[in-house]
Amino acid sequence: MGILGKKLWRHIRHNKGQFLAVAAVVMVGIIAYIAMSSSYYNLSQSQENFYRENNFADYYFQVVKAPQEVMKQVEILPGVKRVTGRIQRDLPIIKKSGERATARVVSYTLPMENELNNLSLVQGRMFADNQRGSDVEVLLDPKFASANNLVWGDRVTVVVEGKETFLNAVGSAISPEFIYTMKDSADMLPDPQKFGIFMLESRQAQQVLNMPDQINQVLIEFSSGADQTQIIAAVKDILKPYGLLASYPRKDQLSHAVLQAELDSLRSVTLFLPLIFLGIAAAIQFVILRRMVKAQRSQIGVMKAMGYDNYRIMVHYASYALAVSILGAVLGTFLGLILAGSISQMYAQFFNLPGGMQGYNMKAIFYGFILSLSVGVAAGLTASRSVARIHPAEAMRPEPPQNSGKSLLEKLPLLWKELNPGWKMTLRNIGRNRGRFMLTLMGVVFAVALLIIAFFTNDAVDYIMQRYFYVGQTYDLSIRFNSLIQEKELLDINRMDGVQKVEGFLELPVKIHYQGKTQDEVLLAYPSDLSMKTMESGTGQPIQVPPDGILINQRTAAKLGVKEGDEVELETLLPIGPVHRDTVKIMGETRQLIGGGSYINLQRANRILQERNLVSGAMLKVETGKVGFVESEINKMLGVSSVLSRQKELQNFQKNMASMTYSVSLMILFAVVLGFAIVYNSSVMNFAERQREIASLRVVGYSTQEVSSLLLKENLLQSLFGVLLGLPFGRLVAGAYVKSVSTDLYTLPVIIYPLTYLFSALGGIIFIMLAHRFAIKGIKDLDLVATLKNSD
Amino acid sequence: MQRNILMKLERVSKTYDMGEVKVEALKESSLDIYAGELLVILGPSGSGKSTLLNIMGGMDLPSSGEIFFGDENLSQASEEILTRYRRNQVGFVFQFYNLIQDLTARENVELAAHLVKNPLSIEGILREVGLAERIDHFPSQMSGGEQQRVSIARAVVKNPRLLLCDEPTGALDYQTGILILGLLRKINQDKGCTVVLITHNTAIGEMGDRVVRMRSGEIFSITENQNPLSPERIEW
Repeated sequence: MGILGKKLWRHIRHNKGQFLAVAAVVMVGIIAYIAMSSSYYNLSQSQENFYRENNFADYYFQVVKAPQEVMKQVEILPGVKRVTGRIQRDLPIIKKSGERATARVVSYTLPMENELNNLSLVQGRMFADNQRGSDVEVLLDPKFASANNLVWGDRVTVVVEGKETFLNAVGSAISPEFIYTMKDSADMLPDPQKFGIFMLESRQAQQVLNMPDQINQVLIEFSSGADQTQIIAAVKDILKPYGLLASYPRKDQLSHAVLQAELDSLRSVTLFLPLIFLGIAAAIQFVILRRMVKAQRSQIGVMKAMGYDNYRIMVHYASYALAVSILGAVLGTFLGLILAGSISQMYAQFFNLPGGMQGYNMKAIFYGFILSLSVGVAAGLTASRSVARIHPAEAMRPEPPQNSGKSLLEKLPLLWKELNPGWKMTLRNIGRNRGRFMLTLMGVVFAVALLIIAFFTNDAVDYIMQRYFYVGQTYDLSIRFNSLIQEKELLDINRMDGVQKVEGFLELPVKIHYQGKTQDEVLLAYPSDLSMKTMESGTGQPIQVPPDGILINQRTAAKLGVKEGDEVELETLLPIGPVHRDTVKIMGETRQLIGGGSYINLQRANRILQERNLVSGAMLKVETGKVGFVESEINKMLGVSSVLSRQKELQNFQKNMASMTYSVSLMILFAVVLGFAIVYNSSVMNFAERQREIASLRVVGYSTQEVSSLLLKENLLQSLFGVLLGLPFGRLVAGAYVKSVSTDLYTLPVIIYPLTYLFSALGGIIFIMLAHRFAIKGIKDLDLVATLKNSD
Repeated sequence: MQRNILMKLERVSKTYDMGEVKVEALKESSLDIYAGELLVILGPSGSGKSTLLNIMGGMDLPSSGEIFFGDENLSQASEEILTRYRRNQVGFVFQFYNLIQDLTARENVELAAHLVKNPLSIEGILREVGLAERIDHFPSQMSGGEQQRVSIARAVVKNPRLLLCDEPTGALDYQTGILILGLLRKINQDKGCTVVLITHNTAIGEMGDRVVRMRSGEIFSITENQNPLSPERIEW
């Protein structure tokens, strides 16, 4: 180490608090960057490989029923690289406990390598090509298997056309289309207890589902450069005679959409959060260095007098920033990688992805270093530019007192006169160090805002929970039937012991057409005397389902570009029966915090189907304490495909949200580090610069407490302003944050409880006081004589 | 005796612009400095002696007039040329030592030795100034006299042709001050190094080969000492 290196090292050692505080801010920035970019990288790599290796399809067509041969017609279309035909159908599962769940049965043709959306075995063995014996072999998705404690060899029971059928679980497998296993977009959260993917060999599936030589889904992959629009139109023409129900591109595939949304939000946060921290770190480094250059003015003068040139001295001071950055980057990378590991682990809980998501992304590490080092060097060189202006001859003399201009308040003599000398000193000092004051203020603002964002997610989730589970729906059980049934059949349920009230509903999948645009949507039809569910208008007010027309989902309305009063065309998408078309008026918009769907009156929905009194499910109000009993009674009914208890839904929701606690505590930690570091630094600097002043006051007879309170005044001003500005700023950032992470599937409302503001403000004041206490530790030990004598 | 001129100042002035007031710190002063002499510049504070020293040392440029070091004209020199000049030709000793607090005695000297191609031995020079025992001490662990000796060692280690001392005894007690002056005389004699010493202490003038007296920014007399006193015999 050169002599200047030693000088730097000793300076750092003597001022290690300050050094470590800035390094911590850099570290947090790099942690955030490394953790998020590594997670992003791992997740997107994993997605990309999985999609490629398992031939993830580009386009999906759903028909009522079509002969297998139809694939040959699709196969020969120019531009079609691969076609896979298969069956997919949802069946009710009867668990050992008697509870209901839903199986999405999907058929697979062996050998699988060239098929689209093929499987990767996770555990157990592949189903056999030639199966003998009575039981059909099935592969389960791993989340369903583990949530239901199934092991290989276990039998699972499904209901096919009213008959119990046994399937033999031989293993678990994953596929690129079931990375996120959710029944439909109305669900929002996966519930592996209630929904699983059942993978069957195709001939077995045809046999079980009684669809010999038939398929109901066609998947295609385009050749590169193919005219996709033309191919899609051609495939639609081919499939039209077989009842084309839906067709959608990969981007609308549910699992893909969720994963992609997660990746997109991760990417936006990856840039945004680290930049705040590194930006602030750069600003603190800048201020520290400027002050260091100022404090070491005479040393710089001596070095210049000896013949050191500006460049070498500047590099020397910039090296301080570089050292801060290196330490921050090293620690940040290390901790960031650990954090990335646990984030990836968290993702593994949500997504069915092939293992090995623990890759180290060297590029991210490299960028992290480059990012922090360049920020450090830039701050260092800018700050030490003032070295050039130092005149060696003048530098040797103590710096003349600064031009203490009148501060702003002094222009208000009435107010100014009222202030005691302590406040006057404080205000003048702030006036002299406006840059530093602003920087500290900004740091406090950011830290408080970060606290708000951290707490706000809790508020928003709590709000959703309150609205959705306690206000929005008051039923105890919600059941769905295998097929549409007559409303009067609900009377059987109504007569059950414990059931107080039953309200039927109809879920009707439709396409909404408006001015050439089309959107798939689920119409949720409720009776006019609905009591167990409350709808919200676009602004969150309670709203009734109108007798005619529909209440359209906000997001769907935005996609179609429709507004109240417009007329749209509906086209039904039921898997059985003819397609119906009808025109309805938009009567208003509705907001759903969880899931989607638009609302329509039950009678009106039946008119679309040219039916009367059909329902697809029912909501039940049950006597307290009898929910379990009623649930098990209903589970015995074969026509029921699923039973949801509100209590269990709530539990599932809370379980899914538990992972959020983790990110919230991280955010709080980040906020505290940032707030502490910045206030600590500015207090240390303030203390160092005013040592002489403080010593004089002590000599005059001020007590340590009195002097300390003088310094505290400045911190209090900063904190008060910082907290005041930080609160609304936090609200603003929370709004922007929600916008950047909300997806088609869910939106967080920007709800911030008053208590959150209070906690954030308190949090802000606490770290300010803590930092202040640490920074002024030296007051007691101040050697008065030496301080006053020392010219340096 | 033919004396070689090391440095020549011709009608050098310096005006400081202090915003609303202009301070004429040095007024048209001319002076030749001979190679190998020990020159004492005497004057009360505000007489312009520090300004003169700064200009000689390449730390400041004159507002008008000419200054030569050997053949080199430094009157309008760039910052780069001045830096090179200070690095290779000049050593400074200050009243308040101005040592780097974070570096030991050895390291403070090393800091300067670093800058030139053929520095003197760091240990050797520290031994010469009598600090062999304190070589690894930090400034805060040394007395004022010791610190000033480090400061001299630091100035001399570059083997400069001109040693400029600004009130080198100003912060020291009498005994220590005498020791420091003796050291400067010894360096002047042993190494043939030109020493310019500025002070307000008239007694010190007695040890100079020549004495320049200043008042209000002007040189008003230059006298030659036929028999300069050895420092031990100076009293004040």
